[in-house]
Amino acid sequence: MSDLVEIVDVTVTYWSRPGLGLRPKPFHAVKNATLAIATGKTLGLVGESGSGKSSIANALLGLVPVGSGTMRFDGQDLAAMTGGYPPEVRKRIQAVFQDPYSSLNGAMTVEQIVSEPLRVHTETGAEDRRQRAAELLSLVGLDPAHLGRYPHEFSGGQRQRIAIASALALQPRLIVLDEPVSALDVSTQNQIINLLYERQEELGIAYLLIAHDLALVHHISDRIAVMYLGHIVEEGPADRVYHAPAHPYTKALLDAVPLLDPERQRQRRAERKRETVPDLPRAADRGCAYSNRCPFAMNRCRVEAPPAYAVQEGGTAACFLLDENEKETRT
Amino acid sequence: MTPRKTRLWLQPSYLAVMVPSVLVLATLVVCAIFADWISPYDPLKQDLISALQPPSARHWLGTDDLGRDVLSRLIHGCRIALIAAAEATGIAVLIGVPIGMFVGFRGGWWDWITMRIVEAMVSIPGIMVAIVIIAILGTGLHRAMFALGILYSTAFLRLARSVVLAEREEVYVKSARVIGASPSRVLLRHIFPNIAPPLIVQITLTVGAVLLAEAGLSFIGIGVQPPNASWGTMLNTAAVFMDLAPFLALPPGLAIVATVLSVNLLGDVIRDSIGRGIRTATPPRGRVQRAATVASDPVMPREDDVLRVEGLEVFVTAKTGEEVQVLSDLSFSIARGETLGLVGESGSGKTITGLAIMDLIGAGGRVTGGKVMLDGIDLRGLSRRRMIEVRGNDVAMVFQDPTTSLNPAYTVGNQIAEVLRRKKGLGTTEAQKQTVELIDRVGIPGAAERAKAYPHELSGGMAQRIAIARALSCNPKLLIADEPTTALDVTVQQEILDLFRDLQEEFGMAMLFVTHDLAVAADICDRISVMYAGEIVETAPVNALFATPRHPYTAGLLSASPHGSDGTPPLPTIPGSVPTPGQWPEGCRFSARCPYATAACKVRVPLIQGVRCVRSDEIRPGRAA
Repeated sequence: MSDLVEIVDVTVTYWSRPGLGLRPKPFHAVKNATLAIATGKTLGLVGESGSGKSSIANALLGLVPVGSGTMRFDGQDLAAMTGGYPPEVRKRIQAVFQDPYSSLNGAMTVEQIVSEPLRVHTETGAEDRRQRAAELLSLVGLDPAHLGRYPHEFSGGQRQRIAIASALALQPRLIVLDEPVSALDVSTQNQIINLLYERQEELGIAYLLIAHDLALVHHISDRIAVMYLGHIVEEGPADRVYHAPAHPYTKALLDAVPLLDPERQRQRRAERKRETVPDLPRAADRGCAYSNRCPFAMNRCRVEAPPAYAVQEGGTAACFLLDENEKETRT
Repeated sequence: MTPRKTRLWLQPSYLAVMVPSVLVLATLVVCAIFADWISPYDPLKQDLISALQPPSARHWLGTDDLGRDVLSRLIHGCRIALIAAAEATGIAVLIGVPIGMFVGFRGGWWDWITMRIVEAMVSIPGIMVAIVIIAILGTGLHRAMFALGILYSTAFLRLARSVVLAEREEVYVKSARVIGASPSRVLLRHIFPNIAPPLIVQITLTVGAVLLAEAGLSFIGIGVQPPNASWGTMLNTAAVFMDLAPFLALPPGLAIVATVLSVNLLGDVIRDSIGRGIRTATPPRGRVQRAATVASDPVMPREDDVLRVEGLEVFVTAKTGEEVQVLSDLSFSIARGETLGLVGESGSGKTITGLAIMDLIGAGGRVTGGKVMLDGIDLRGLSRRRMIEVRGNDVAMVFQDPTTSLNPAYTVGNQIAEVLRRKKGLGTTEAQKQTVELIDRVGIPGAAERAKAYPHELSGGMAQRIAIARALSCNPKLLIADEPTTALDVTVQQEILDLFRDLQEEFGMAMLFVTHDLAVAADICDRISVMYAGEIVETAPVNALFATPRHPYTAGLLSASPHGSDGTPPLPTIPGSVPTPGQWPEGCRFSARCPYATAACKVRVPLIQGVRCVRSDEIRPGRAA
């Protein structure tokens, strides 16, 4: 079975506003990214700020144009749809964004927010819409009696439930979740994660789950991709990436997250190399983007960009350490 | 529990403004409609024998130069005022708002060309534009109002454009586009309702301006033509006979003032009561507002205590004007070289605790009880001037977002040197030298160069290092760090935590580390106080807290943390959400969400031996697997 979403060699470029007489400057937010999401499965996309993960989301949602490469959804090439997605594609890809305070329109009632997709895409009558909105609210664990309320009357977690209800309204095949819980309190985060997981089990929706926290993502992802400054540096089955990261950056990312165990955290801190902060440009201009920060960087890394090598336990990592020849020469 | 809702405009402070305004405007409308019946005389009927009379029983407001009854003319003037305001404002809105919304949403050339035209229009004095338009169209009320309408439409155009420009970047607009709403639908259904509040304010301002402008135009003779009565023509007459009958200017003048004022005040009320924030949550009536006092264990004094907070209690004034308690029965101490973590979710009161220690809660909040002892001196007893000395010298603070806590207008070196000069009284050269040393000390390479950088030229991590250097410049006894790594990436967070640890070893200050992330607290803290709904529910040394949490909330937080479990969903959760201040349950504030709650939890629980739970010994919440 082919994948629901196939992103091949996609580049997303932003152009700076030119001043008088100056040429616009390109900024490549995503460089040659290749990803796939299977029907009804979750791909976790992890990276720090500026890694380009949200640009991939926006490209997939048709909010920013794709510079080059192909982006297939259910067999159709989205990258070629320059004039916006046709309704039958549009309604199959929905989204939930990070900030539940600004992602809901404060001037609309919950009923209006949740049933807006139905008004845009269907001819449903007012009474049916109301009924469907009530169903959607119960589906996300909210009281349908709250239909007439405004978003500011709800807590962050409840608002995110409303956003999810709205995203579910058109029975999409893919929901892009852009940091859906990072603005929420710890005690509410898992409620939302569980809710997303349950709805996926029932409805067979695929998720692109974007987050900066690998630990959070790996709970509900089938596969995880890690981005660094526009590049996908590692991709693979969620457990493999989380427990046996192959790329040095993924390792660094995992090691940087403090542990809940003070004793083990102390040990790890002692083992960690104490270095002065490198005052380096964020990305190396040539070769591997991570090479100027990587403790394992070799001469080759500063010249050549590493391709994606297969990792034994599944997935790929863009690092010369995985090159068979490299392994031989090193040993 | 659902908060009770009250309409904002029903509150006394709003009613006091609304009732007079509505009365004035209602009188205006009634006078305008029924002018012919209400006015005692014909406003145009002349009686030259009784000209320029002062107020009398026959003519309540006197007569003008032609012996016409001033009261009657004033009443008939209402009609003109109403027509003028409605016409000019209506035209301004109908022209300005649609064009402004369109160019704001479309941007590009449409926007550029329109805005240049608008700029050209507003660069000419308004009254001249009006005179030119009237010169073309001819004089008379309706033509003058049309001219004013066009003139004022630029204000609406610019307002609508700027609001749309801002709103179009909002996430809800992105959501609407993802749903598949067409651009016109996004603009009209999603963005338009959010423009309403500023638009209403602009309308009320314009109504006032139109009334004044109508008076002005009539005054110079190109608005309402004599002998018709308008407030402007009446003022015109009054000006001519200023010496003979000074009273003549009062009735039309006061009418204009009262009308303009009423419209503006009413506009404010309408603006506040529509859209977002239509209703505010107020605590149910008849409840005790102040949390009952409880006999918690006193904080044991230790020899090297730097800070001891005892029974701190803070109230803030809610939007409704009611006082809401945000902190209660808060006690803790921090010793020299020790780091106490203050951990809690949003709304738990951890940030306000830091601000309360610094006496920086600001307007609307006040400390109502307790002690803040710094080295044995109660900071609450200090004068304002003395407190300013304490800040920066003895207690310093590092905030969450380094890019906003540093002033973008000065170089980072300047901002540190400023503190050194003010607080330590150093000379310029010495301050510069120490600044560079400090910047070097917080691990920034090329310190002398970097001192000349502006905050926006630094990455978040670098900026936070500068903020830390500034906080440490006067060698404070206590450093309060409020979520100092929350805005940073994890790899940078790790570096900043290392820096805090190194600096504490070197400077030996006590640290209050406020964070929502238990794992960060595990990394940096010696002891941790977990806060929930304005009080500490558990305080313990870091190892003990993570190994054997004694409060069910601490246990719940630990197992709900992303790193707390390794399983697949369903992940452990704490049901419900954190109650907001004013909505706290009367007894144990966690009881509504607690799996162990019983009848015993209905009364206020003291903090005994570091835990605020009546069943702690019996249930031993421990850590969920």
